Amino acid sequence: MIDWQPSGEPSIPARQQPALALEYGRSRDAVDAELLRDTGLVAGLAPDVLVSPAQYLQQLSNTFRALGSPDTSFMLGQLLLPGHDGAASHALVQAPNLRVLLETLCRYHARLTPLLRPRVERWGEVALVYWVDAYGAPGIRPALVEMHMTALVGLCRWLGGERLPWRFCFNRTAPRHIEQHHVHLGTELRFGCQLDAMLIPASWLDRPWPRASELASRLAQQALAAEPPRAPGLLAALYDYLLAQVRAAPTLERTASDFGVSPATFKRQLLRHHTHFQAELDQVRTHVALWLIQVERADNEEVARYLGFHDAANFRRSFKRWTGLTPGPIRKAMEGESGWFGELKGRAAGG
Amino acid sequence: MTLAIRPLVLVAGLPCSLVLLFALAGTILPPAQWNWMDIASEGGTALLAAVWCLIVLNSRPDGRVTRLLAGGLACIMLGSWADCLDEAIEVDKAALWDNALEALLPLGMLVLTVGLYYWRQEQATLSEHMRKRERLFRNHRPFDRITQLADAAYLREQLRLESRRDGSQDCVLALFDIDGFHRINREHGPAEGDRVLQAVAHMLLLNLRNEDLLCRYAGDRFAVLMPGLGVDEAADAAAHLCCMVSTMRYHGARGQVRITLRHGCAPTQGAPDALLADLCRRMDAA
Repeated sequence: MIDWQPSGEPSIPARQQPALALEYGRSRDAVDAELLRDTGLVAGLAPDVLVSPAQYLQQLSNTFRALGSPDTSFMLGQLLLPGHDGAASHALVQAPNLRVLLETLCRYHARLTPLLRPRVERWGEVALVYWVDAYGAPGIRPALVEMHMTALVGLCRWLGGERLPWRFCFNRTAPRHIEQHHVHLGTELRFGCQLDAMLIPASWLDRPWPRASELASRLAQQALAAEPPRAPGLLAALYDYLLAQVRAAPTLERTASDFGVSPATFKRQLLRHHTHFQAELDQVRTHVALWLIQVERADNEEVARYLGFHDAANFRRSFKRWTGLTPGPIRKAMEGESGWFGELKGRAAGG
Repeated sequence: MTLAIRPLVLVAGLPCSLVLLFALAGTILPPAQWNWMDIASEGGTALLAAVWCLIVLNSRPDGRVTRLLAGGLACIMLGSWADCLDEAIEVDKAALWDNALEALLPLGMLVLTVGLYYWRQEQATLSEHMRKRERLFRNHRPFDRITQLADAAYLREQLRLESRRDGSQDCVLALFDIDGFHRINREHGPAEGDRVLQAVAHMLLLNLRNEDLLCRYAGDRFAVLMPGLGVDEAADAAAHLCCMVSTMRYHGARGQVRITLRHGCAPTQGAPDALLADLCRRMDAA
């Protein structure tokens, strides 16, 4: 059975991410009543209490609204990593290079970045980190993405001692506060993409960092592995499950039983995470299709066959429904961007 | 906006006590004799004056100007209100207090005028203070809370104004980054980082010409718009600003923190967004 955590159940120690966000809100002259409104945390944040992801999300949404400043998500991101989560944070700081850092972050994301789950893919000379919802937060998803990307960029910059040549894709239109992206992330920004991702030449994965110590890193990893694992959020677990099962035409009933609940309960849980089964499945299939089109250079016929569609026309229609675009323009946009990837590869070879 | 309770009670209480006073001292006329037009206009004046008085009290810090403005408006309110009550309640025409109450109206106007005179002086002082932080037009919204500087949206607006001009006058945009600012934030805490930003903003302001504009672009990146300068002169000015900041001694909570800047300049040509993106790219590469 798959281990997962619903958004309504307390799982995040209040003294960690919620306390950091609260402290930042206070430092910007917001009052607790406003920052914690509708979270049910009337008595404030007692340090030993567990907070549910839903409460933490509500707190963040209050903070964005109360401070009303476009830099809030970026400043919260600066504070997010490495965090104060004992062994997990320690293992991040001790990571000798980007590869170990990303592996640690992905494996322990439920502790380090409970709201968004990072996933790392690699093809050729490009490594890609993309962010998947763990608990569903449609209203503040763009701000959460800014926050988590800033956290990772800031941590790498600190540990690596230099700016890393990240490039960014956002599943949104270009915002008005682009200056924040310029300063906190970088200038290589693409908007209107199908997923929220960061790319970097793969050669950067194994560059040793100035303070790197293999031994310290190994000890930190051992200490972390000895601690009981924390379950990922429902949507993060579901994404992993669907990605593994995407060719087997997963159904709600089968998935619910693998998640150890009845289909009705599973449906209700998904509704509480502001989504439904088909939307999650479509998202995974979109990502797989994009991967096939972009990396494997597959044509519609091949993608349709891979994903179990009757024919290419059917796939084309579904893809249009998922993304608002047919595969054609996406391919064309990529041709336009192939210069971008080409340059990335060139840089990787040079660097 | 949260409404303070004390002025609200005061502004509501005064007219109520007037009603009591009139009701005790006079006789209420039958409604047939009421002049509704007068009641509406005088009552309306009183009501609006009360609202203005509350706005002044709630939006300004206490002080001479605030007291004069609020006092004047309160007098106008009471005078009009007494006028209004006169329409509905008959009091002895010879009674001195009634005449005195009605005389509050011109008195209030006088006090308000004096208040406005001082307010004008106060505005002049503030404008002087704000000169290098705003240029050509005032917009009260886009100000950064930490440095009290205009933000990137205001800068883009200024660049747009600049690009719409005939181009006879040179204008240069310079960007400044604090070296290793992220490290200051990590090692000394974000509160110290905020104070560093304030110190740098002050140092830059002190070394600008009157016609320059300083903005906080985002994070630790500042922007200076230098109208009337060529690229070489502007680069020279920018280097001087960096030099001034690096000679500044910044004393943090845990000892001295060394602050240095790096800069990049570009003439303000073309679309603001492209110009800013391009200049930022150069800053990152530096």
